[in-house]
Amino acid sequence: MGDVAAKIKVMPESPDVDLDALEDRLEAALPEGAEIRGYQREDVAFGLVALLPTVIVPDDAGGTEAVEEAFSDVEGVESIDVDSVGRL
Amino acid sequence: MSEDIPHQNLAIIGHVDHGKSTLVGRLLYETGSVPEHVIEQHKEEAEEKGKGGFEFAYVMDNLAEERERGVTIDIAHQEFDTDEYNFTIVDCPGHRDFVKNMITGASQADNAVLVVAADDGVAPQTREHVFLARTLGINELIIGINKMDLVDYSEDSYKEVIDEVTDLLNQVQFATDDTTFIPISAFEGDNVSEASENTDWYDGPTLLEALNNLPEPEPPTDAPLRLPIQDVYTISGIGTVPVGRIETGTLNTGDNVSFQPSDVGGEVKTIEMHHEEVPSAAPGDNVGFNVRGIGKDDIRRGDVCGPADDPPSVAETFQAQVVVMQHPSVITAGYTPVFHAHTAQVACTIESIDQKIDPSTGEVAEEDPDFIKSGDAAVVTVRPQKPLSIEPSSEIPELGSFAIRDMGQTIAAGKVLSVDER
Ligand SMILES: Nc1nc2c(ncn2[C@@H]2O[C@H](COP(=O)(O)OP(=O)(O)OP(=O)(O)O)[C@@H](O)[C@H]2O)c(=O)[nH]1
Ligand SMILES: [Mg+2]
Repeated sequence: MGDVAAKIKVMPESPDVDLDALEDRLEAALPEGAEIRGYQREDVAFGLVALLPTVIVPDDAGGTEAVEEAFSDVEGVESIDVDSVGRL
Repeated sequence: MSEDIPHQNLAIIGHVDHGKSTLVGRLLYETGSVPEHVIEQHKEEAEEKGKGGFEFAYVMDNLAEERERGVTIDIAHQEFDTDEYNFTIVDCPGHRDFVKNMITGASQADNAVLVVAADDGVAPQTREHVFLARTLGINELIIGINKMDLVDYSEDSYKEVIDEVTDLLNQVQFATDDTTFIPISAFEGDNVSEASENTDWYDGPTLLEALNNLPEPEPPTDAPLRLPIQDVYTISGIGTVPVGRIETGTLNTGDNVSFQPSDVGGEVKTIEMHHEEVPSAAPGDNVGFNVRGIGKDDIRRGDVCGPADDPPSVAETFQAQVVVMQHPSVITAGYTPVFHAHTAQVACTIESIDQKIDPSTGEVAEEDPDFIKSGDAAVVTVRPQKPLSIEPSSEIPELGSFAIRDMGQTIAAGKVLSVDER
């Protein structure tokens, strides 16, 4: 079935969250089978910067739910939204 | 990417192995969007081996490899330009659980190309994707009857598949006069950019012509402001800052806005976008803003911000059309799964199943059925267990669709027909 790339928007709890350290924590929290392929950062407003990892998940893994749940529990994360998904 | 031509999001849908990825590769190739070095590399290797001729398969392999390696960051998207449009292609994942992402994600497709293999015809995922395209508000379908080379470019085979697809479209009430059928071979390139000699019986447009002929997507600015709130922050020196992406309308400083269902409001003081203060923001913009008199605990994720004089609807109940994609048993009245709509996730009870739609005719098959199951389409009445802001899809499509999840799966997708407001 191939792989799916999902661009996930991670909002930090505050403008003070260290995004480099947050990247490491997201990496460590990845469920099995998923892989982070690079990050983008997006200036939002009032000092808030969104972190946008592109996560590769197998199409047959049944969606992005496992990744969303794992990321939600990571320290410093306010919210998780899937921005877009597409086949590799 | 051209700045001066309009943009379209184009979904590529169809059954497994019918040639979606190959068609994406072919479109990129024919429009000169394959990176130069991928083609150069191929030419060099072919010359070294003393082989002439161009092999499209090779470009496909290398494109795939390059994407697997993740050289470009935005690997989920591929773009190409035609004379009329800049297209972003979404090659839709096959698994049903990605449907939630398609509904709540940032980029909804405007139009779609449905790929149906001539040697296989309508298959299960063809059916499912067409249902979804209908539910998600895709405007026009271009149908590529693919792999024509495998049926010797036979007009009879082409017509047989057209009949099957037309039946399917009638079933889901897709207006077939808004569809274009084209016999193609993604692999050989027939009727993609140039009319093929192999199908001299066909005199319709090529695929690229059909893409050029698509109507321009209408900008959603006619609708009133609808801005689903993603998060609420307290920023020192500023105060409460809700953050979200504008779906419809515009947000201006000085506007009097209302947050629903929290039912509070005030005047917009400042708006920031990309860390810069702006006087106004439009659909697609991610903004943080600040509203006079609103505290952090007054509003929450899932609220929708709109004009105070045309506030977002809050449903006591709503009627919706749903398609059941997967459910281990049957769905009966009283069932209470979680509905995902914009940034809200709310448990909702399916209070009554009002009509079951007959998939073979598209007409009402049964009034007040006792249950519905996988594959069924139905009209249901839904009662949110907590206040939920949602809009009729006919009025504000951006706020009118939802995914239904239960047991860790996306079990259905739907769109709102009408809202009975609180
Ligand atoms: N003969 C012929 N083969 C084709 C054509 N288009 C695609 N194929 C072949 O059909 C197979 C499947 O093609 P893909 O493009 O991977 O199909 P897909 O729809 O993306 O498949 P999934 O991503 O698995 O759903 C590959 O072996 C392609 O080379 C065509 O026009 N003619
Ligand atoms: Mg594919």
